[in-house]
Amino acid sequence: MSVRRDGDLIRLEGACPVEEAETLAALLLARPKAAVEWSGCTVLHTAVVQVLLRLRPRLQGSCGDPFAARWLAPVLAAEDPP
Amino acid sequence: MTEAPPDPLPPAADLVAEFVAEARDLIEAASEDLLALDDGAGPGALNRVFRAFHTLKGSVALFDWPAMLVLLHAAEDGLSAARAGTLAAGASGLVDLSLAALDATARWTEAIAATGTLPTGAEAESARLVARYRDLLAPAGGAAPAGPDPAGPAPDWAEGLLAGLAERPGGVLTALRYVPRPDCFFSGDDPLGLVRRLPGLVALRLDPAAPWPPVATLDVFACNLAVTLLTTDPRAEVEAVFRLVRDQVSVASLAVQAEGTQDVEEAEPASGPEAPRSLRVDAARIDALVALADDLAAARAALGEAVARAASGDDPAACLAALRASDERIGRLSAELHREAVALRLQPLARVFRRFPRALRDVARQLGKEVTLTLAGEATEIDRDVAEGLFEPLLHLLRNAVDHGIEPPALRVASGKPAAGRIVLSAESRGERIVVAIADDGRGLDPAFIRRRAAERGLGTPAALAALDEAGTIDLIFAPGFSTAAAVGAVSGRGVGMDAVRAALARLGGTCTVESRTGQGTTVRLALPRAQSLARLLLVGIGPELYGLPMAAVAELARVPRGRIRDLAPGAATVLRGRTVPVLHLADLLDLPRGASPPEARLAVLQAGGETVAVEVDRFAGRLDGLVRPLPGLAAAPGLAGTVLAGDGRVVLVLDAETLVGDGEERA
Repeated sequence: MSVRRDGDLIRLEGACPVEEAETLAALLLARPKAAVEWSGCTVLHTAVVQVLLRLRPRLQGSCGDPFAARWLAPVLAAEDPP
Repeated sequence: MTEAPPDPLPPAADLVAEFVAEARDLIEAASEDLLALDDGAGPGALNRVFRAFHTLKGSVALFDWPAMLVLLHAAEDGLSAARAGTLAAGASGLVDLSLAALDATARWTEAIAATGTLPTGAEAESARLVARYRDLLAPAGGAAPAGPDPAGPAPDWAEGLLAGLAERPGGVLTALRYVPRPDCFFSGDDPLGLVRRLPGLVALRLDPAAPWPPVATLDVFACNLAVTLLTTDPRAEVEAVFRLVRDQVSVASLAVQAEGTQDVEEAEPASGPEAPRSLRVDAARIDALVALADDLAAARAALGEAVARAASGDDPAACLAALRASDERIGRLSAELHREAVALRLQPLARVFRRFPRALRDVARQLGKEVTLTLAGEATEIDRDVAEGLFEPLLHLLRNAVDHGIEPPALRVASGKPAAGRIVLSAESRGERIVVAIADDGRGLDPAFIRRRAAERGLGTPAALAALDEAGTIDLIFAPGFSTAAAVGAVSGRGVGMDAVRAALARLGGTCTVESRTGQGTTVRLALPRAQSLARLLLVGIGPELYGLPMAAVAELARVPRGRIRDLAPGAATVLRGRTVPVLHLADLLDLPRGASPPEARLAVLQAGGETVAVEVDRFAGRLDGLVRPLPGLAAAPGLAGTVLAGDGRVVLVLDAETLVGDGEERA
């Protein structure tokens, strides 16, 4: 339960621990256009957040992790990638 | 959305008792010095007061008494300013205020002794005193801050965030900048997990700490983030949440509406001056030492008598017997004295071990794992310096065990294990060594993964790696470059920073080994010296210099005609007792100029790690028993074990036989 490909989407589901950063990065690098659906995600490790911040995929839905939805979504959606 | 901070774990009763005893001593000493300071005593008294507060603060930090910690911190800042000269030591109020702080600390200590907790009202009193320290430190002309948590203008890094605030909550905000170490994921840190624990968060920024590397070289397990945030949580609470990463954060209190009236008070990284070194010693041990010192004085008198007889022209043969007897007696007494003195330095490992349950609980929470930690053998005694040096590597290993060893609860249940992982931290005495073991019942190491990773990192040819047995394969995790460079994927394989752990242990005179069974768990064993010990050394000479070789590694001394040493480029060899042995010149190993070659070579035959090497020296210069002291920062000179003081007072470098033999094998 964490990172999987679903057609053109990459779904984050349940808890996404540090190990999932690698899987997520591999999926995103293979399909740079893929969007990430994260409404089923309950908690994100910093390493996973870092991958999202670096690769800037389109994020779909509002994150199921309230902390991420409130604080990380705006950071990850910011116009100018840092 | 936010987790409640963990409930304080009730501290172990004997740990509290130890704290109380230590605190009473420090408070008493500091009061005397403060009073002396008031009478115009010099910087010595100021330094002692500062150290007393610093040590108290360090001890309090092991417990959950924030009001006390904050006060001691403020007092330390005030005294530190006086030491730095930015505040006159006799400055009106510093002594009075410090006495008041000491008085509060003393009352709280007694309350802790009686009830185990701080008394009610401690928080308010602490806040008042802290505010007075801040007043004292405010620059002349600056308005004195009001309230317990005074604040200044925003530091550079917080300005943007402050400007972007849609609505500014009134009062004081705490600003934090947190740049996690690049390898923090490997020590089990989840930096944003800490941020989650701030219920009053009002603004958050994430930036790359350094420019992003190109996507092609993306290293997902190297943390390159800088977290900046503003929160309404009081500074002390913010500091409590980030206490395990203190060295990676800066904290400032900001007055949001104020016009920037005073200095920003920025937290210093957690590197203080060295705490004073004091030991608490059983009185009986002191009595034994005094008795030995008396015996030694008597033996010295007997020696003096023998010398006087020799000087007055007495029969040398008769004097010789008396001198020998004296030598023997003084030798025995000095060995005994040494043993007693070394025993003074021993302390139970409990002092180190008891710090872990709390730290481990935090790590387990962060990672969403369930872990029980069992301690065993805490009463085992070990040299104080070794015990202190052990904390960091053990913490690293325990974090590794939770992070990479223990599986998530669901996975454990699925494989028939109890949901909560089990870690046992144990110590036992084996002769002159102490073995500390960390055993987990997690997933174990995967030899196939390690081989693959080692091959990728160029740590051996595929054939050499394939030829390694399981133990040899597991040992690869200690190779420099295995863990640090192997960022991607190493998380699932464990072994992060293990070369650093092994290096830390080597500095303590210890070794580190790992045993692992896939699916059943991993055990890391640390073998450490129990106490500093006298080493028997063979002294050898190169030119005018003397060097010590540990006698334990010297198999024999031989004189070999030069003709029997055959030059086999790139090395030389000779046959000793029917065996071909590589011959090396110590001067070459130490990069010293070689003198003339005498017709007969003097060889010290060394054995270490199952290998034999003959080392040629210019001369043999006798034996020496001495306490080998490690030299700090000797990384640049591997092959040196430390120094020892020779009888004539000169310092002799002691060579590390294992490195010499290893080099010899390589060169031969």
